[in-house]
Amino acid sequence: MSNATVIYNEHVGGPFFRMALRWKGRGFRPGQFVMVRVSGALDPLLRRPFGIYDVLGGRKGIEILYKVVGRGTGMLSELDPGDRVDVLGPLGNGFPMVRDPESLVMVAGGIGVAPFFWLAKGIAGKGRRPVLLYGARTKEEVRLVRPFRAAGVRVRVTTEDGSVGSRGLVTDLLDRELVEGRTVYACGPLGMLMAVSEAARRRGVKCLVSLERAMACGIGVCLGCAVKTRPHPQEQKHYSMVCSDGPVFASEEIDWDSF
Amino acid sequence: MGRTSFSITASGKVALGVDIGGLKLKNPVMTASGTFGYGIEFSPYMDLNRLGAVVVKGLSLRPRDGNPAPRTIETPCGMLNAIGLQNVGVEAFIEEKLPLLRRFSTRVVANIFGETVREYSEVARRLDGARGVDAVEINISCPNVKKGGMVFGTDPVEASKVVRAVRKATGLHVMTKLSPNVTDIKVMVKAVQDAGTDSISLVNTITGMAVDVEARRAVLATTVGGLSGPAIRPVALRMVWEAAQVARVPIVGVGGIVTATDALEFIIAGATAVQVGTANFLEPDSAVKVIDGIEDYMKRHGIRDVNEIVGSLKTPGPRANPTGSAR
Repeated sequence: MSNATVIYNEHVGGPFFRMALRWKGRGFRPGQFVMVRVSGALDPLLRRPFGIYDVLGGRKGIEILYKVVGRGTGMLSELDPGDRVDVLGPLGNGFPMVRDPESLVMVAGGIGVAPFFWLAKGIAGKGRRPVLLYGARTKEEVRLVRPFRAAGVRVRVTTEDGSVGSRGLVTDLLDRELVEGRTVYACGPLGMLMAVSEAARRRGVKCLVSLERAMACGIGVCLGCAVKTRPHPQEQKHYSMVCSDGPVFASEEIDWDSF
Repeated sequence: MGRTSFSITASGKVALGVDIGGLKLKNPVMTASGTFGYGIEFSPYMDLNRLGAVVVKGLSLRPRDGNPAPRTIETPCGMLNAIGLQNVGVEAFIEEKLPLLRRFSTRVVANIFGETVREYSEVARRLDGARGVDAVEINISCPNVKKGGMVFGTDPVEASKVVRAVRKATGLHVMTKLSPNVTDIKVMVKAVQDAGTDSISLVNTITGMAVDVEARRAVLATTVGGLSGPAIRPVALRMVWEAAQVARVPIVGVGGIVTATDALEFIIAGATAVQVGTANFLEPDSAVKVIDGIEDYMKRHGIRDVNEIVGSLKTPGPRANPTGSAR
């Protein structure tokens, strides 16, 4: 049972791959994701979630940018053009429409850069130059921002040893960008998200984070991908589901102490 | 799909309707509690009207938050879950979820649980007369807070108390879902049917765990969780067969069913109906594919009515069967 065909599966470098899928999915928004079944076998059992990296022209399908971290992604990395997979989606809430693209600051670390490409490309395509602050740990990670630069996005890279871009953490760059009226979108390692969230809070700047959690269903029924949220005056629940309430949340909604 | 060798009737139709001790379903396929939300979540992916029944996420008296994450982890051919019975509570279900489910012709089974016998009975009482609910399924695989957290479903005396209390609290069909984490499932079957259950579903998840060897910590926040999926199917099937040896009430088979072939194993072993659970995460329309596959099997074998094959397992001669039961 499969509804998508691999067009190409490019090894970007290190553990990173970019796969284009011919797929009839519709109605995507930046920041949404898909659940991919990598084989018809019963093991690995579950689908894997991947952010939509880009949308192919002519509504042909999508691209995903993924990192090989285990068996499922390992199997995905070995697929060839013409191979079939099954895609469920688009899922999740996605990023809200950006009213003033000049005010957007994207902050990413590692594979967390994946959900930003389609959004950034769209903004840059209209003649604006959005900003992406990227924290990289390896030279392969640095390669991930090349398509962003090529699309006209202003990319600032930090590496801990200073071998590429500025030396330090991506949050060091943030202070310069966190001016009134700006909005921050962040996606990446938990420590980075917590630091970005805190920096935004101190400056009174709006911050949205895209979270990731181990998922079984991806459609809001298994209740596995829970993230603890701060007590809400109206709502009684204390857990939100990353797949159906998210993956994008206002950073002040998240109970960062629960991690 | 394959060619059918011959038609049964002029229209080629087969009879899939089953009667589970008074609960009549259009076909023997239900979806399992905890894998199908409150049903509506699946309407973009399949026609809910095709299902024999939807069993909704377990309901408690008050809303429950559930456990901290991590709540799930994949295991070979399966998964562990420690969701913690998060649910909106029986009142919110009746007011907000049930009206949406009423639009569909599928039967609605409300799975219920409690921390005390009184809570089980109170939830059942509130569902009694709720328009659109066709049955309650009692989840007895919960810790009894009055008995040091021992699971109701592992103690025939406590399980009986729960079933009797629910039986008194509602006129709805009562289905009791058994735990596999027992020494002898037959003891539990006898206990709950003596207590008045109209039917029995089995099995719930098998307790299991996983360890993160790099961090040297349990993967799940609660350390132990419930195993489900194809990995447990042979165990669930064996328990259904054992239950069928002593059951006087109909049996619903659950545990790792993904395909129609899996479902037929359970039906042949003695289940009048089945529930499809974890498979819904692989393919949202798994249950529909199971229904279609059962129909296809019946056409290939010239079986007119699915009830003909319930419990039709051919056992070796009496000499080879130590229990002596000639089923």
